[in-house]
Amino acid sequence: MTTLLSTHGLVAGYGDMRALHGIDFAIGPGETVALIGANGAGKSTLLRAIMGLLPVAADMVTLDGAPVGGAAPHRMVQSGVAIVPEGRRLFAGMTVDENLRVASEHAATPQGTPWTQERVYNLFPILREKARTPVENLSGGQQQMVSIGRGLLAQPRVLLCDEISLGLAPRVVREIYEVLPQVTGQGTALVLVEQDVSLAQRASQRLYCLLEGRITLEGRSGDISREDISAAYFGASHALD
Amino acid sequence: MHWIEGIVQGILLGGLYAQYALGMALMFGVMKIVNVTHGDLVILLALIGISLADLAGIGPWSVLATLVPIGAAIGWLLQRAMLNRVVGNDPLPSLIATFGLSIALQNAMLVVWSANTRSLPGGGIQQASVEIGPLFVGVLPLIVLICATLLTGGLDAVLRFTRYGRSLRAASADVEAAAMVGVNPKAVYATATAIAVGILGFAATFQAMRSTVAPADGPFQLIYAFEAVIIGGLGSVWGAFTGAMILGVSQAIGFRINPGFGILAGHVVFLAVLAIRPQGIFQRKS
Amino acid sequence: MSYRVERMTLSGRIALVVGALALCTIVSMPWWASQGLIRDVITLACFIAVAQMWNMLAGYGGLVSVGQQAFVGVAAYAMFVMAQTWGINPFVAVGLSLIAPGLLAVPIYLLLHRLEGPYFAIGTWVVAEALRLVATNMPLVNGGAGMSLRVMTQFSAHERAIAGSFLAALLLLVTVGGSYLLLRSRYGIALTAMRDNPVAARSQGVDVQRLRFLIFVAAAIGTGFAGAVYFMVQLRITPPSAFSMEWANLAIFIVMVGGIGSIEGVLIGAVIYFFADRWFGEYGASYLIVLGLLTLTTALFFREGLWGLWRRTIDAPWFPTRRTLIRVEGDAS
Repeated sequence: MTTLLSTHGLVAGYGDMRALHGIDFAIGPGETVALIGANGAGKSTLLRAIMGLLPVAADMVTLDGAPVGGAAPHRMVQSGVAIVPEGRRLFAGMTVDENLRVASEHAATPQGTPWTQERVYNLFPILREKARTPVENLSGGQQQMVSIGRGLLAQPRVLLCDEISLGLAPRVVREIYEVLPQVTGQGTALVLVEQDVSLAQRASQRLYCLLEGRITLEGRSGDISREDISAAYFGASHALD
Repeated sequence: MHWIEGIVQGILLGGLYAQYALGMALMFGVMKIVNVTHGDLVILLALIGISLADLAGIGPWSVLATLVPIGAAIGWLLQRAMLNRVVGNDPLPSLIATFGLSIALQNAMLVVWSANTRSLPGGGIQQASVEIGPLFVGVLPLIVLICATLLTGGLDAVLRFTRYGRSLRAASADVEAAAMVGVNPKAVYATATAIAVGILGFAATFQAMRSTVAPADGPFQLIYAFEAVIIGGLGSVWGAFTGAMILGVSQAIGFRINPGFGILAGHVVFLAVLAIRPQGIFQRKS
Repeated sequence: MSYRVERMTLSGRIALVVGALALCTIVSMPWWASQGLIRDVITLACFIAVAQMWNMLAGYGGLVSVGQQAFVGVAAYAMFVMAQTWGINPFVAVGLSLIAPGLLAVPIYLLLHRLEGPYFAIGTWVVAEALRLVATNMPLVNGGAGMSLRVMTQFSAHERAIAGSFLAALLLLVTVGGSYLLLRSRYGIALTAMRDNPVAARSQGVDVQRLRFLIFVAAAIGTGFAGAVYFMVQLRITPPSAFSMEWANLAIFIVMVGGIGSIEGVLIGAVIYFFADRWFGEYGASYLIVLGLLTLTTALFFREGLWGLWRRTIDAPWFPTRRTLIRVEGDAS
């Protein structure tokens, strides 16, 4: 497997508090990789560190083998890494159309068929109807669709998805997860941070489990047993009980 | 009659204040910072313009055409070299840094241009007036008002309909999220400050033509800009424009009641708005 | 094994003794010092007081004001009116005049606290400007011509020196000593928490709004005290001098260069400002350019100021406000 994006002994944190202690992570083109772990395990921190939102050393993150760690977020976008952030983070006061346009106007050079607003609307038809609505008037699920659309319009080669199912009705979660294969179908790699472990296992080819800032399990999603996951998820001492 | 004349004079004065206020509203809207040198930059540009007219023998409109790009360059430089370092949640660093710069700038102007008041010769346009109904209205103040209206409309259109405007609104809504979709906040900020100080090029030319300027006048222009922005309500350029009109009218009417009360009337209206409608006149909710 | 909380350090004890001696020295000045020295010390005390009050506002309260001259002017004018117009004993009037800034601070805070961060600062400036204009137009204070404190001629120079020195010592005791006591009290923990992170402090049960309000009023009174003492010694007041931007200017310079959020920084900054003003003030504009650029540089690059730089080498606070947990070995409890 060729590696698109990887981290090497990545350490990061907030102020004096270190949240990640040496993460080795890799993802190839078109691959879907899930990151699971309890709250505070460091999943979001890892995405933020990759995205350049936290200070890290240059060689801790590589894209196509080139060091990109600590580059400004907008530079990461331009080199093909985009994020669907936790909490959606839409631009309040702007319409659905404007939110999407900001992203497409600052996108990376597309590889293959570029994402257009039209294609995003085909993926989530409800957004076409709401194009002129200010985003704060949308439902949570619709807001999540805008956020994913924004991520896609950045024309990423790797899309980092931070808890895109959080707070949504099961039907909406299914709807969103159903479109993900269309994204990876054209070679975009997906990193899914997901609370729902079985959903993460089903949606991904490989998964990493984080515990207290360290990777405790890594492997093919289909091959990993429930026992392995719960041991990795809660820590060895807990599993031995 | 007396009062109508006062109101008209006030609106015309408001045209000048609107040109101060636009840039401040823009900068606060996107960065949540106040550039304390805002007023001093008006004076600096005006003094540069006056010296330019003196040395190169150019007319006021050429001065205007020169000052706007100079202002934009100063603004860009100010943001790149200084303000980008202090943008953030804590208001203290940006305030104190620009406060210090303001003192340095005022005194540097004092060294270069002395404390004398100066003005920009307008080639007779200052005396021209037109008859509108029963009133005589100065041509220059009318030009200033029209210019202010066009600048406000233009800035509003830029914010609504251009790629830059969208990126600026995105950055003011959530700067980190904007960076995550590829917007470079520092570039957006630098352009915003360039626009803000570029507009001050208009304000400087007209201020120097309409009345006089001296190195220590800057704080007053800063305060007028600030009052206009707060009266009108934060976050909208037309709000700042209308706030400037209300400030101008308050001062003009106050001046008619008692010449010593003119400026104070503006402050009183500002405080009254803060007491009664703190979100400003044109903001829907706080 | 048990723990006890240590709040005093050796350096703190030494500083307390030095401080008490300094206050005694100031009070004793009329019997040994020259008129010029007494005047200088009173001026320095006023600078320290105004700066320390700004430090409490900006350094702990998160309230950046550029309009503290409002309270300098209001208290000083109140004192002049009481003493000169109403015939109250000037030294009593200094005390009574503090009611004015205290009362005025209440509506000012209630109006301005609605403004976000930097707009609050410019708002305080507008208030100071408005008050300057009111004083300029007010017949009671003789308008723009200003007032003279002619009643002071009924006292001998020695009597005036005694009162001035005593008031300067009292001013320092109230503003610096008061701040120190406040920071060491249980409010001090709340204030320090607020300085470091207002949002977190609020979630820990600190009533941030109420604390800010109280600090604003207290700082107004402290600043007013300095104003009343300063202009009592000057014997003359005009609206531009009373409501001068220079008060904000010097407070900001002293606190920023000395080190914001520390009392030590204010003392260091005030001494630097005082001597800079004395030695280089004659250069006028060029001197102020340097002063402005120093403030700018501090805000950009050395936010912790000179005291912060010094503390990196020797951590011996003069006014310790930290609580240190000390383990007591071999204790049965």
